Amino acid sequence: MRVLRIAQEGARALAGHKLRTFFMMAGTIVGIAALTVIMAVGKGTEQKVMKRVNAFGTHVIMITAGGGKGFSPPQEGVTTLRPDDAEAIRAQVPGIELLNVFAMKRGPPVKAGANQTQAVVTATDQNWHEAWDWPVTDGEPITDEDQATMARVCVLGTTTARELFGDQNPIGEYVQVGNVRFRVKGVLQTRGVSPHGGDFDSRVMIPLSTGLRRLFNQDHITNIRLKVGDSSRLTQLGEEVRQLLRRRHTITPPKEDDFSVFTAAEVAKEARGISRTLTYLLSALAGLSLLVGGIVLMNILLISVGERKKEIGLRRALGATQGDIFRQFLVESLSVTIIGMVTGSLLGWAVSVVLARVTQSPVVISWEPFALALAFALVVGVFFGVQPARRAAKLRPVEALR
Amino acid sequence: MIELEGIEKTYVSSSVKTRVLTRVSFRIAAGEFVAIMGASGTGKSTLMNVLGCLDKPTAGHYRLDGTDMVNLDDDALSHLRNHKIGFVFQQFHLLDRATALRNVMLPLIYADQYPEDAHQRAEGALAAVGLADRMSYKPSQLSGGQQQRVAIARALITDPTILLADEPTGNLDSKSGAEVLAIFQRLHREDRTIIVVTHDRAVAEHANRIIVLKDGMIAEDQPVAQPRDAETELAAVVGKEAQA
Repeated sequence: MRVLRIAQEGARALAGHKLRTFFMMAGTIVGIAALTVIMAVGKGTEQKVMKRVNAFGTHVIMITAGGGKGFSPPQEGVTTLRPDDAEAIRAQVPGIELLNVFAMKRGPPVKAGANQTQAVVTATDQNWHEAWDWPVTDGEPITDEDQATMARVCVLGTTTARELFGDQNPIGEYVQVGNVRFRVKGVLQTRGVSPHGGDFDSRVMIPLSTGLRRLFNQDHITNIRLKVGDSSRLTQLGEEVRQLLRRRHTITPPKEDDFSVFTAAEVAKEARGISRTLTYLLSALAGLSLLVGGIVLMNILLISVGERKKEIGLRRALGATQGDIFRQFLVESLSVTIIGMVTGSLLGWAVSVVLARVTQSPVVISWEPFALALAFALVVGVFFGVQPARRAAKLRPVEALR
Repeated sequence: MIELEGIEKTYVSSSVKTRVLTRVSFRIAAGEFVAIMGASGTGKSTLMNVLGCLDKPTAGHYRLDGTDMVNLDDDALSHLRNHKIGFVFQQFHLLDRATALRNVMLPLIYADQYPEDAHQRAEGALAAVGLADRMSYKPSQLSGGQQQRVAIARALITDPTILLADEPTGNLDSKSGAEVLAIFQRLHREDRTIIVVTHDRAVAEHANRIIVLKDGMIAEDQPVAQPRDAETELAAVVGKEAQA
């Protein structure tokens, strides 16, 4: 095939001028590498975000005592959030399907016989199991009767259960938290490690009333967890709750909230973190290198058309048509961008893998960046290759040979 | 087979008309060895470009094997050059980075049908000009005379109607020049049609007919009664070298 023979001539011209070819390629390599990294990081981040959002709950509003921007565990010593705040929300904010109030404390030693351990102690109402979608796998959950009678009963996380009782069945046994003895009535489903690295299963659950009166001796709580029916109204309901609590706590501008309201949207924003900035920066870099790379490519090609006038004239004299010359130069520019694209993709892939190791953030390698890179390579190759190719083709053989 | 009839060529630059060729007419039959002579500025390069189908005349007709090139478009002219004309240039015009063999094969890239035996053909063409042992050399590794012989092999690879040489010995020493002319004379004996464009009467006298251009017109068109023999001259040069 004539076209193939001509393509081969183009490839030979590139192979014969390796340094020149490299410079023509550099912009494409950097641009495509950046593009690949953006997409790998972007996909990885979205995966992480989805994981966090799903773990947090897509229909959940979480209220934590104490202000502050971050989504952090409740602070000790903040006494502003009270059970009647929860009652007010239940009564005044429509669209709430489930409401769970709890107070948690890290630290009081938990003992059983000779064994002792540390665990998060959570005093909660009976809605907790449903609000967290976290049932007991053994025994009974916390009930409203426990609540009403201020029962000294508890449900253990699997880690705590194992630490205190080993392989023995803990149901019906007693644990001592601080100075209070609790009868173990259930064991929770195993949850594993939290996104922050803590152990979800190192915990003791007790009825809210028992916890506040008999153990913590306090009348404030640390959290309210709400489940809404319609997730599209999440942000709006979150704002309603916030305004209600500001009124109840008599907070007026410019004073900041003494509580924090979180929804999946805030969690997603936090999980995305700096990756969005990084994406913007890299996109700018990718766009700029592709543009600059294309211009450099075009200029080097134009210079090479000038340098190779004699060669072009000779080829024309030997029978090359204008189309043959045009195709040869277009092949040269397309080969440069396609090889640049492959190199750039591999480089971007390598950088993504290293980046994933260094930043401990997930990176997803997929075929999409390769397809997009190929499209970019073809566009840049054609867009910046046509002009030099046309100029080469239009050279009059008589003048080119002079 | 080559028929020029009233060829005129006028260049127009910034409203100044320069007539370079005036009513040039001649015929060259198959198998002739013709020299076109003239001092610089007499229009011989222009005539050479027209003969090589690199440029069209302003007026007149140029029939090559019956085809009037005046009516052809650019692609058709390229096609015509590819299989009817073999060029030999003063500057050799070889591709620096390609081997002798690849240089010889270059015109085949643009042929309608790429011959399956392209390699053997190119090897044969190089052997015919005495370069069988230099096939994989690049131009920079060859002498001027050897480079011009590669160019002759390249011109012959498509088996063209005319071999068109523009000052083929202009950049060569007398021995290499004699070698090139000896090849032309041998090709002439093998019935090739050869046109050499030169300013040098000594070169022209190797042909069997000399057309002299003067001020863009044919001043003289004579057969050469006794062409010089390049083989004899070559032997003399070699002999002189041996004595020295």
